[in-house]
Amino acid sequence: MNDLTDTKAIPEKSRYSAGVMEYKKMGYWEPDYVPKVTDVIALFRVTPQEGVDPEEASAAIAGESSTATWTVVWTDRLTACDKYRAKCYRVDPVPNTTDQYFAWIAYDIDLFEGGSIANLTASIIGNVFGFKAVKALRLEDMHIPVAYLKTFQGPATGVVVERERMDKFGRPLLGATTKPKLGLSGRNYGRVVYEGLKGGLDFMKDDENINSQPFMHWRDRFLYVMEAVNKAQAETGEVKGHYLNVTAGTMEEMYARAEFAKELGSIIIMIDLVIGYTAIQSMALWARKNDMILHLHRAGNSTYSRQKNHGMNFRVICKWMRMAGVDHIHAGTVVGKLEGDPLMIKGFYDTLLGENVPANLQHGLFFDQDWASLNKCMPVASGGIHAGQMHQLIHHLGEDVVLQFGGGTIGHPMGIQAGATANRVALEAIIQARNEGRDYLAEGPEILAAAARWCSPLRAALDTWKGVTFDYASTDTADFVPTATAS
Amino acid sequence: MTISTPSNSPPTDAASDPAIDLAVQDVVPESVDLAEEFESSGVREVMEELDKTLIGLAPVKQRIRETAALLLVDRARKRFGLAHSVPTLHMSFTGNPGTGKTTVALRMADLLHRLGYVRKGHLVTVTRDDLVGQYIGHTAPKTKDMIKKAMGGVLFIDEAYYLYRPENERDYGQEAIEILLQAMENDRDDLVVILAGYADRMDRFFNSNPGFRSRVAHHIDFPDYSDAELQQISELMVTEQNYEFSDKALTAMAEYINLRRKQSHFANARSIRNAIDRMRLRQANRLFQANAGPVGRKDLITLEEGDVRASRVFTGGLDSDAKPILPSAED
Amino acid sequence: MRITQGTFSFLPDFTDEQISAQVQYCLDNGWALNFEYTDDPHPRNTYWEMWGIPLFDIADAAGVMMELAACRKVHAGTNYIRMTAFDSSHGWESIRLSMITDRPAHEPGFMVERQEQAGRRIAYTTRAYVTTRPAGERYT
Repeated sequence: MNDLTDTKAIPEKSRYSAGVMEYKKMGYWEPDYVPKVTDVIALFRVTPQEGVDPEEASAAIAGESSTATWTVVWTDRLTACDKYRAKCYRVDPVPNTTDQYFAWIAYDIDLFEGGSIANLTASIIGNVFGFKAVKALRLEDMHIPVAYLKTFQGPATGVVVERERMDKFGRPLLGATTKPKLGLSGRNYGRVVYEGLKGGLDFMKDDENINSQPFMHWRDRFLYVMEAVNKAQAETGEVKGHYLNVTAGTMEEMYARAEFAKELGSIIIMIDLVIGYTAIQSMALWARKNDMILHLHRAGNSTYSRQKNHGMNFRVICKWMRMAGVDHIHAGTVVGKLEGDPLMIKGFYDTLLGENVPANLQHGLFFDQDWASLNKCMPVASGGIHAGQMHQLIHHLGEDVVLQFGGGTIGHPMGIQAGATANRVALEAIIQARNEGRDYLAEGPEILAAAARWCSPLRAALDTWKGVTFDYASTDTADFVPTATAS
Repeated sequence: MTISTPSNSPPTDAASDPAIDLAVQDVVPESVDLAEEFESSGVREVMEELDKTLIGLAPVKQRIRETAALLLVDRARKRFGLAHSVPTLHMSFTGNPGTGKTTVALRMADLLHRLGYVRKGHLVTVTRDDLVGQYIGHTAPKTKDMIKKAMGGVLFIDEAYYLYRPENERDYGQEAIEILLQAMENDRDDLVVILAGYADRMDRFFNSNPGFRSRVAHHIDFPDYSDAELQQISELMVTEQNYEFSDKALTAMAEYINLRRKQSHFANARSIRNAIDRMRLRQANRLFQANAGPVGRKDLITLEEGDVRASRVFTGGLDSDAKPILPSAED
Repeated sequence: MRITQGTFSFLPDFTDEQISAQVQYCLDNGWALNFEYTDDPHPRNTYWEMWGIPLFDIADAAGVMMELAACRKVHAGTNYIRMTAFDSSHGWESIRLSMITDRPAHEPGFMVERQEQAGRRIAYTTRAYVTTRPAGERYT
């Protein structure tokens, strides 16, 4: 029997004798390994089964996500297998836990096909998540080398060009999702879009599950929506848009819907995360070719991103989606109804918008990430937010974001236009105060109240939703907190 | 044109910006502690800096101290609601080249900023070429451009009299003068103009341009440095660059100053700076050519007598046919 | 109607003091400001006429406000005037803020022309009512 405490890979000769061997000894655990600049690095949160050595569990993950199978195979020796083996080079206990470990695993760039999220993910989150030796496994973060990033298109349009096309600068964009989500006829649906845009929003949006259902088929929706967009544009003199959801059962059908949106003059279309990585990349290529902004609704992500010990962190989705080439992605609101710890969300936003993002453990960013001039991807904040929170939203989320007030627009007591106007006035008032150097976070309620004195829609909004907050503890929080200094 | 910003200016946020401080004063105070004002406004700091970094110039420093006192009292009067008018702050700095006019202008900009008379405290230094164009319609935009850049700070016009060329009645300088006069009158809250140059020529300039004379309230004359002051300045410059004179070099330097002053194109501290630059060059060549094994720290920092005496100033100055190390107008 | 292009179109028109505060914010960020004017308010009329070149190397808002005053002297009342801030830093290299500072007293707005096509499709054209008149005579 081999000595269990010996962590070194064993000599060539005995390494390949038939049988079962510890992963650690097969070359998947290399504590002295220094990652190459071209390596893809993944950071996993590993919860080993009871009695399993954390290093062995981590080595197993390295093995199962690269070349290994459960038993030794002589065919390894027909390959440059040292290069292809993923190498776990560091395992640390997770702060404030007893059974969880962070494992750093480096993968040679040759393990992956260029320009394919599908291929990257088939390795990194393929079989390994079902592996019996770990009780739970979560992909926390990834470092993508510049060499590999350069094989991806990146966002079809990007934040800067989107702003140029929209002629909108210096403030967050405003949007709203048409409600109710389901059941409106095409004609009624277009009414909501027109009211919202005319009232002052930049975008209206289809919801994730609006495709082509018995109550409203997709062509009907597209035609009425574009009537609303064009009419609102003429009423305001501003460029307006509506995310037409082209999500469908097949690629062929999605292309057909996207083409129709283009023919009608729409500037933006949308897809859902559930269509899959390859379909997303295809749509991003189509969007670049057709001057279309591509909005991604993250439908489905919480099935695997929310729980802390298993699945994957949303920041990894952010990275993959920026590579895959979407222009918008929902990335949390901090103050709204959906999951979102402020520090974690800061990490997501930096990942989507940064050029050279430094590691920041408090924001959950484990690696420096150079984005190699890939376009910036616009984060979208949506879900349970209203005009009374405007100062907080701008404080947490900054200026490059689409703020989407669905209920906060359509639920306004004076109507949809009034709801949209309330949001736009609140937004501009806070941006004005911020630029003037005021402490707009502390003075936010006064700034909004002052604007509400001459803007009755804003006054009604503040009265209606005053005190509405969603104050629940987040489930996905930082493992590293700043140590309080004695003072 | 150059734009300089004060290196140690206070942050310009609302809390500490004196201009804003004044704006929100609505309670009349019981009394004002001028000493405390002197301290808290940062004027003391500027004056100390002035004393520390500028050798000599006693009359200049005295005039600045007086101006600072006037402005501090003016500020205090304002708090009591006593009648006051925005003081005219445009100035003229007269004196020979190298007497510290630009350096003092920088400090002056800082001072005015700390007292809240200009919002930014940067200094934009220009000459005729920056203000006056060559074609019809060229001058106004050029002058206005410079004024725009200087707004909130100080516009320093070196050798201002070149703007005025009476011998050429179609000279575009006159257009620049008119625009400047207008700005000095209308934008007094946003802009301070300092006109600088030789004393005699500035006098003639003011005599032929009464508009300037009436708008410039403060005249500061910069005297030439004495030999002893120039000696001190040379030592300060050498120390700042991490060099030192040997004892013999120091004596040679004193002789150099005495001789140099009598020759043409003498420019006070500027001549000294140039001389030192050339001495460093000679020192480097000496070390290199001597080729006498490894050199130590002492060798690297010491300027020897020979480095000073090799100057043509000792052999008759600029007309000398001694072979120059560097082509230079002065050595 | 009131066209609502620009960063602040839903607030009451800014006073000079308020414009000046926005100017200073831009200058403090290192952005260069430029004024542009037009009498064609179409939302996709990207290139308004430039009032000179962007103002580089200005420290204080007063310098920029001088230029706005000069531009207004010629174009206020008969044109829209907007202020645009350019950021030259890598990764942006575009506009950071764009606000309308002046608008004509009366804004007639736009009409939508609908050209019916096969399959219920409509081709839309947005036309500013004022552009039926020649440039320079639109808001007089």
